[in-house]
Amino acid sequence: MSQSLRPYLSAVRSSLTAALCLEDFASQMAERHNKPEVETQKTLEALLNPMVIARNENEQILIESSINSVRVSIKIKQADDIEEILVHKFTRFLTGRAEHFFILRRAPIEGYDISFLITNFHAEKMLKHKLVDFIIEFMEDVDKEISEMKLFLNARARFVAEAYLTPFD
Amino acid sequence: MSYSSTPAVVMGIGTGLTKLGFAGNDAPSYVFPTAIATRSSGSGKPAAPAKPSFLGGSSTGAAQSSYLSSKRGTEDLDFFIGDEAIEASNTQAYSLSYPIRHGQIENWDHMERFWKNSIFKYLRCEPEDHYFLLTEPPLNAPENREHTAEIMFESFNCAGLYIAVQAVLALAASWTSSKVVDRSLTGTVIDSGDGVTHVIPVAEGYVIGSAIKNIPLAGRDITIFIQSLLRDRGEADTSLRTAEKIKQQFCYVCPDIVKEFNKFDREPEKFAQYIVETARSKKVVDVGYERFLAPEIFFSPEIASPDFLTPLPVVVDHVIQACPIDVRKGLYRNIVLSGGSTMFKDFGRRLQRDIKQIVNTRITQSERLSSAKSSGVDVEVISHRRQRNAVWFGGSLLAQTSEFQSYCHTKADYDEYGPNIVRNFSLFSVP
Amino acid sequence: MLQIPSDNLLIKKTLEELFESPTAVDRIVSDFDYTTYHISTPEEKTKLLISIQSKAFKDCAKYGALEKLKSVYAAYESPTIEPGYDFSLYLDLGSISGLEAQNEVIESISLLKRNMLAAPFDAAFEEYERLSAKHQETGVEPETRSSVYEINYRDEEAIYIQPSFDRVTVIFSTVFKDETDKIFGKVFLQEFVDARRRAVQNAPQVLYSHKEPPLEVRDMIKYSPDEKKGYITFVLFPRHLVPQKRDNTISHIQLFRSYFHYHIKCSKAYMHSRMRFRVNQYLKVLNRAKPENDEAVERKTATGRRFQER
Repeated sequence: MSQSLRPYLSAVRSSLTAALCLEDFASQMAERHNKPEVETQKTLEALLNPMVIARNENEQILIESSINSVRVSIKIKQADDIEEILVHKFTRFLTGRAEHFFILRRAPIEGYDISFLITNFHAEKMLKHKLVDFIIEFMEDVDKEISEMKLFLNARARFVAEAYLTPFD
Repeated sequence: MSYSSTPAVVMGIGTGLTKLGFAGNDAPSYVFPTAIATRSSGSGKPAAPAKPSFLGGSSTGAAQSSYLSSKRGTEDLDFFIGDEAIEASNTQAYSLSYPIRHGQIENWDHMERFWKNSIFKYLRCEPEDHYFLLTEPPLNAPENREHTAEIMFESFNCAGLYIAVQAVLALAASWTSSKVVDRSLTGTVIDSGDGVTHVIPVAEGYVIGSAIKNIPLAGRDITIFIQSLLRDRGEADTSLRTAEKIKQQFCYVCPDIVKEFNKFDREPEKFAQYIVETARSKKVVDVGYERFLAPEIFFSPEIASPDFLTPLPVVVDHVIQACPIDVRKGLYRNIVLSGGSTMFKDFGRRLQRDIKQIVNTRITQSERLSSAKSSGVDVEVISHRRQRNAVWFGGSLLAQTSEFQSYCHTKADYDEYGPNIVRNFSLFSVP
Repeated sequence: MLQIPSDNLLIKKTLEELFESPTAVDRIVSDFDYTTYHISTPEEKTKLLISIQSKAFKDCAKYGALEKLKSVYAAYESPTIEPGYDFSLYLDLGSISGLEAQNEVIESISLLKRNMLAAPFDAAFEEYERLSAKHQETGVEPETRSSVYEINYRDEEAIYIQPSFDRVTVIFSTVFKDETDKIFGKVFLQEFVDARRRAVQNAPQVLYSHKEPPLEVRDMIKYSPDEKKGYITFVLFPRHLVPQKRDNTISHIQLFRSYFHYHIKCSKAYMHSRMRFRVNQYLKVLNRAKPENDEAVERKTATGRRFQER
């Protein structure tokens, strides 16, 4: 783990833990509705100030909190167009399976690669600190996974190229 | 577009057998077991975070210098499918697995590789140039369709894709029979393969899911039944293989077992002989009552199975009775057979007679009770020449029509709308 | 499967079956690059008509494909070519007896497409020999700008072959229909270029250019800068062109595109399986967040009775 990653992750962890203080909140707009306020953005007094934690301009996390929901959006590091396409593929693969992930948002917020939406109902059913663990682990792993995939691609390309060129000999 | 000149690929991948071929052919080009043999070491998780693996081994057919294949991360190229997989699994290095269980894809990693080899090695086509027709079992989860599309479009970039329900294709295949007058997509499909028999009602191209029934009796049970008869008699050869050959060559369906027993006793020429020839010896196996007794387990299951006791005609009747009343006549009128275990001689005729009996009893009873005259119900069981590969053939029939491509979702559609586009396919109309 | 074999497995299998038990057939078989075969028995069970139709045929014919096929398949050439197809073979199954002879026929017919596409390569290699002989004789470098053979074997892709006195240059133009393919393709091609330097010194030199066609073919192509197009150049040196290696080189190089795209697809498939694995891992982590003791607590009344009858 590089030097700047640890403080970054610990900042994210404490901010997330703070943001995950959620309570049930009935919609002020429509009777008998209960919606994530951070999504509707209608009741301004239920919204808190959004916060960006950035390690650098390519790695950022946006935490938008409200009284009954938190939206967490992550920008994943993309150094070149290979990583870009791999991130795109990977996030698409994840969002395609969003129903298994409960807290995964099907579409990311503009400018970010992947978003999670945690409502008070999730926080009631699941353990809060473990949810934070999940997001932190996701952030850690995703970079590793992308770079491993890139490494694989290069290794495979080399292998394939050599395998093709050898029989000419 | 050059797509029009390339034949569409029809892939019918079932629990037991995979049928691959090109549209327009009358039979699948390849029929082999849906099995994949992978390197034993990597059998657990081929996708495990890349640990250097030095077990790559030389890949199929290509005798590569070993230094190349010893590099990491090539074990996903090292596998066999189909008959070659069974062969390879005899060696210690490979382990065999079946990616499909009960008609549903269980292991997507294996399935993806299975498709890869099917397309590139066996069918030799560039998926970008071909349209694909895949079959799926009734009641397949829409997520499975999405995952299939994800593989077909994202990994293989196939030009277009159509996923059809097997039962509907079986109905389409029955149009080749002369008995079929109106080419409707309403009917009851009896699909009997090796493992299980399904009775599936289809109304205007849509499967009536709530009424589907499965019968745990199919080809394998017949074979085992024959084998047990042979063993009881103490024949010279009682292997499963012999039993299967006898099933395929000698068995037929009789109208009445008691009469058939008498007939056998009167006419000894009815007894046949099957000769097992091996390199060393020649064994003679007598074939007796099992000729008609074996297929009889569909009609009188009590002779073979202790747990399942409902005869096939009764099941068919139950299925149709469970359907909405306005389609029942159509379902009785068009009962279509599909799959290898429906190939016995006179199978259709016996089934038709038995179902008719059930229906007629019901009609007379209702006439007696209501004293109103019934207009009668036609029962027709359709048997045709393409029965064995009915599903595949139906697919081939559909995919060779000029309209086929317009029913498909194309790669461009997929890129535009995402995987959920394949949740719906327009039904093909009658050409 | 690492390499893509030159022979057509399905033709092989079909013919083997037909030799064993002749039946009436009417089948379509496909191959890479818009190639279709038609195997039929128009007259009787043992008289087989095998026709090939390929997008590349028209161009190959310019460079002697028909003559080549006629010489390879002299014994089985059909007097008439089936309408809609480019070349037909006529095979009398009964006249070929003996397993060995049969296998030989099967083998040679399964290479039908390979032989067709080999014709322009053969022609180019012969021209190379002429030029090189001339060079040896005179000692002067002949006009390097000799003709370029062009084979449009796919819709937007072509093979160009340029013989010269000391080398034969083979250029593939390739199109990536998909964004991912384009990027993966670039990575692969970069490795093709580097491979020679690193490991396989005796291999042909490989060059790759994106968008810009190489000089050799620049004037042949209606130049339009296309994002999705790339050009791969193989420079075959005399060591690859010696007679004993020639056939191998031809078989191998003509399958380049199929091989290349096959492996792009393989790596995408591998990515998928990695991602599936990763998704399962994440799900495991997420499911840890769910408290496990949901139903474990059994509620009882004060007297110790359960609420539910068991």
